[in-house]
Amino acid sequence: MRKMEIPLSENLGHGHLACAGCGAAVSMRLTLKALGEKTVMVFPASCWSIVPGFWPYSSFRIPVIHAGFVTGGATASGVRAALDVRGDHESVVTVWAGDGGTFDIGLQALSGAAERNEDFIYICNDNEGYMNTGTQRSSATPLFAWTTTTPVMQPKENPKKDIMAIMADHHIPYAATATIAYPEDLLRKIDKAKRIRGTRFIHLLSPCPPGWRIPSELTIKISRLAVRSRVFPLYEIENGNTYTLQEESHVVPVKEYLKMQGRFSHLSDSEVEVIQKNVERSWERLLKKAEA
Amino acid sequence: MKRVITGNQAVAYGVILSRVDVISAYPITPQTTIVEELSELIANGRLNTRFLKVESEHSAMAALIGAATGGVRCFTATSSHGLAYMHEMLHWASGARLPIVLVNVNRAIGPPWNIWSDQSDSLSQRDTGWIQLYCENNQEVLDTILQAYRVAESVKLPVMVVLDAYVLSHTSEPVEIPTMEEVDAFLPAYCPDYPIDIQEPMAFSVITTPEYFLEFRYKIQKAMEEVPEVAKKVNDEFRSRFGRGYAAIERYGEGEAEVLLVTSGTVTSTSRTVVQKLKGNGTKIGGMKIKRFRPFPFEEIYEEIRGVRKLAVIDRNLSAGVGGIFAQELKASLYSREERPEIFSFISGLGGRDITPNLIEEAIQYTVEHPRPEEEILWLGLKK
Amino acid sequence: MSKQFQFKGASDMPMIPISLGDMDWNKTGAWRAQRPFYEDKTPPCNAACPAGNDIVAFIQKIMQEDFEGAWQVIKEENPFPGVCGRVCFHPCESKCNRGNYDAPIAIHALERFVSDFVANLNQKIGKSSGPKKGKVAIIGSGPAGMSCAYHLAKLEYEVTVFESTSSTGGILRMGIPSYRLPKKVLDREISNIEALGVVIRTGVSLGQHLTYDDLKDYRAIFIATGAHRSRSLHIPGEKSKRVLSGLDLLKKINLERKLKLGDKVAIIGGGNTAIDVARSVIRLGKKVTLLYRRSREEMPAFKDEIEEALEEGVKIRYLVNPIRIGQKDGLKRLECLRMELGEKDESGRRKPVPISHSNFFVEADHVIIAAGEEVDVSFLPKGMENKEGIVLTQRDGSTGIKGVFAGGDLTSMQRTVAHAIGSGKKAALAMDCYLQGKNMEETIRRILIGEGPSLSILRYLHPEARPMNSHVVTFEELNMDYFEPSERIRESKAPLKKRVREFGEVTSTLTETMAHEEAERCFSCGTCNECENCYVFCPDASILKTENVFSHQVDYDFCKGCGICFSECPRGAISLKEEER
Repeated sequence: MRKMEIPLSENLGHGHLACAGCGAAVSMRLTLKALGEKTVMVFPASCWSIVPGFWPYSSFRIPVIHAGFVTGGATASGVRAALDVRGDHESVVTVWAGDGGTFDIGLQALSGAAERNEDFIYICNDNEGYMNTGTQRSSATPLFAWTTTTPVMQPKENPKKDIMAIMADHHIPYAATATIAYPEDLLRKIDKAKRIRGTRFIHLLSPCPPGWRIPSELTIKISRLAVRSRVFPLYEIENGNTYTLQEESHVVPVKEYLKMQGRFSHLSDSEVEVIQKNVERSWERLLKKAEA
Repeated sequence: MKRVITGNQAVAYGVILSRVDVISAYPITPQTTIVEELSELIANGRLNTRFLKVESEHSAMAALIGAATGGVRCFTATSSHGLAYMHEMLHWASGARLPIVLVNVNRAIGPPWNIWSDQSDSLSQRDTGWIQLYCENNQEVLDTILQAYRVAESVKLPVMVVLDAYVLSHTSEPVEIPTMEEVDAFLPAYCPDYPIDIQEPMAFSVITTPEYFLEFRYKIQKAMEEVPEVAKKVNDEFRSRFGRGYAAIERYGEGEAEVLLVTSGTVTSTSRTVVQKLKGNGTKIGGMKIKRFRPFPFEEIYEEIRGVRKLAVIDRNLSAGVGGIFAQELKASLYSREERPEIFSFISGLGGRDITPNLIEEAIQYTVEHPRPEEEILWLGLKK
Repeated sequence: MSKQFQFKGASDMPMIPISLGDMDWNKTGAWRAQRPFYEDKTPPCNAACPAGNDIVAFIQKIMQEDFEGAWQVIKEENPFPGVCGRVCFHPCESKCNRGNYDAPIAIHALERFVSDFVANLNQKIGKSSGPKKGKVAIIGSGPAGMSCAYHLAKLEYEVTVFESTSSTGGILRMGIPSYRLPKKVLDREISNIEALGVVIRTGVSLGQHLTYDDLKDYRAIFIATGAHRSRSLHIPGEKSKRVLSGLDLLKKINLERKLKLGDKVAIIGGGNTAIDVARSVIRLGKKVTLLYRRSREEMPAFKDEIEEALEEGVKIRYLVNPIRIGQKDGLKRLECLRMELGEKDESGRRKPVPISHSNFFVEADHVIIAAGEEVDVSFLPKGMENKEGIVLTQRDGSTGIKGVFAGGDLTSMQRTVAHAIGSGKKAALAMDCYLQGKNMEETIRRILIGEGPSLSILRYLHPEARPMNSHVVTFEELNMDYFEPSERIRESKAPLKKRVREFGEVTSTLTETMAHEEAERCFSCGTCNECENCYVFCPDASILKTENVFSHQVDYDFCKGCGICFSECPRGAISLKEEER
């Protein structure tokens, strides 16, 4: 096995308040390594309104702006405009929004910015629910999952929104999925995004130990199983139409992924089968797009 | 140079002359001609400004919050529902102490749909921490924008400049347009206290516990309290440079009036003619225009109402369940004074209905004739 | 130390809630309920190596393409990598965790590669110049004796080896055919040992040329004379002409190279000696039939060797038991019984049971009996006990006589080269402890590899070396997410036609590229190889890179104890324990 080579810079400092085993904290560390020092990050409301610490502290070592829940795409547009006016075309403006701030409440601002092809990287840190407020369902919560607003007697009835398809249809120059179990891939995609101008969208899956009801040490494992089970395939979309699909050599049934998570512990075999079928259909759709 | 222009064009001139760096706006009647005019000016290269044509008012203000945090001068314009939609971000702008200038073209809020003048939109935002300045004519509109940036950037609070739908926004008047050089001399480049700095990174709007939140709000109040003096200085300088100015409160009509007619916005112009007409007809009638609604000009008002027995307040707005908002503010501000004129609260002209000289005269007549109002709310021109 | 702020009030606060300092003051380590820590554990290969090689360590060096470094690692424990890489039965490979995944690492081939690579550089082990601790004598220059001599020389003793035959190496030279172990490889490794100052006196036989009294100047003695007497079958005709012992035949081929044999040769036995004899005789151009009384499954010879013997044309008749060796028309005539397998015996193998009236005959020019070897106890000093064919020793190799130690085939039924090398090493340590007045039992406990019995000289000499938990890493403790299936390297073999005509080596040494590729397959069980997973995946940036004994360390000020480093360590080199508070 090859030794992983990743940048040593740490722009998320010590003492932050993320839960033990937080997938998003790993995502953030890796993302910042790829983005480098010349980065301004915008945070619509999410766990990341709290994780960096309370005033007068922040564990970030880059400029960050906490912003309204809805406003990721808009605030970043403004920051970019300001930097441009000041002649700084080099610093990378990056939005770090949760799935709620992206799939749900922030979708309009994101869509607006993407349509204008605003020059920033938008990272959706997807933990599949409103975790900061105590695990309520979002439109990124998967089918049949338990959340506090989709209790086991009535788990989520609808499949997860296909945010990548939505973003692809904005014909933005670059969109990609990534997850922490594949750090070099994640870094490569962020680095690639960094070299492109216009709206770039990264969909990061970040397992959430308390919200997904998983032991904290399994964060990476589950992130990997998400890919291996094709629940969360890794792929890139250029200009909304060129799909590059990363085939995973170890494909496992979705059951392998689901069975490790408390939020799916109530599933019957037939429900698992439905999820398996959905995953296969989505994969086929992706394959078709990649072949087109 | 004097030109005959609409209120909305005056806004656009104010924006050009203020060398605004970033504009972000979403169209809404009757604000639209402002964004159209600005788009034209930018397209023609007359304005070196980034215009973010965002997908909503909420985003318009959010984008400016981002840009202003980035340390540049920002502008937006909206109206009615647009302003209401912005509400959350209005709080954010003041909480983050960003000197954004917003022009609101007063328009009623639905339902039912109504696109005409009504102050309920801007007055609904009275608790958002914005300075609010109401304009009477197109000249004042332009001049107020120039002054607004000076005040905003001095006290680090956002300013809302308000003008009436159609009566100003779409009505042409002769307006003296100062030169760029003159304005540059009056309005220096914006120099932010805490711009985004890659070299010295910091986090903005960090979550704050109960231990310190109160103190940050206290600071906003303190900044508001600085406004009267700062605004006066700015206005004095403006007057010395341009030969005109606009106090927070303006008295007109007879000097030692017994009855004072209180208005804001374009109703003031109509009121001036009525007060002039009634001069020498017995009771001494004066007029008082309130330009600055936030911070509310308590001290200035105390000065102006000395010896006045009655205030006839005409509100083109309604806080349902209470009444006219200006009247309420006046009542509240005078409660602790020993000298307390009787306040007659008239509601009129909602949804753009004309407040005619006759209606104003009716209000004065009623005030003169009654020792105190028979009802809390006196409806002018109401068809019962 | 990061700054903490306390404000009087609005007057000393900034206008807006901008951050003024970092969170480094917030020691999130206080949240921790479980504590990860770096702790190397014993790789199963290391634990299985009778010679006590640090296998994972040398493979890691190969992976880094530091082939000399790999040799430095091996020679710490074992002076015979060229020999072991060729003739060892490599129990390390059968325990290799990779065997549970695809196929074990070809450890023997890597060891051989390292030895041959360094030989090509004419690398010699340097002689130490320090003052000597005293004179010690070793009887027998086989793998046990030479291993003991090697380690004692490194421990600064003046070592003399007495060898009864005219050449060095014992069983390595006499008993192993050169198609498996070329003489030059053996010579090279023995001369490396001599280069340390070890003196070998050949042609000096204990009892014959040398008495124990002659050895009284030596402060300690190690006896490793091996097991050279062929075991008897106790059947009629065993002592007749043209009936030879397997070991004698091998000695003749190896030392004298001249041997007259008829065309048809029958060999009795199923062990490694039998196979060595069979393959050697094939190379002399004879027809060979091997007679074994159980089935192939029970054959004690190494599987690969049996396979190669069959390839080379050796015929094996299973379930055949000779009961008499007769003579007819100038041919030896073996009367045999057919056998069938019955109940399991104490060795765990099914016991062969004769089928009555199944007698038949096998004819041959020569019959070779290779039914195992025994120890010759006739020359041993009084006071040395023996039982069931082996000399009895304590765990540390000491005998009933003070200062006299014994090892190798003499003291064990596990008669392999690797065991002999390991026992020589253990004796060297025991002798050093004895002479330096150290407690050997305590020492053994400290330097045991895994649960033993092998010992680590490295840990004996360097107590400060990175500690290794004796726990042997299981396959289940590894994280397979980081490995892709890959094929085990295959050593190329000489063409069959060539093989059966001469005594040249059958397999060839790996190339550098092949060795590197094979080394990369190693899971490095229990041994941190700086893969960086712990550093990369830590949500709290609490893995620090250091230059200390460990390349990484946990920053307990901030580690929240999530356990990601533990579960994502591919090789079980991080442990987790409950936090004590």
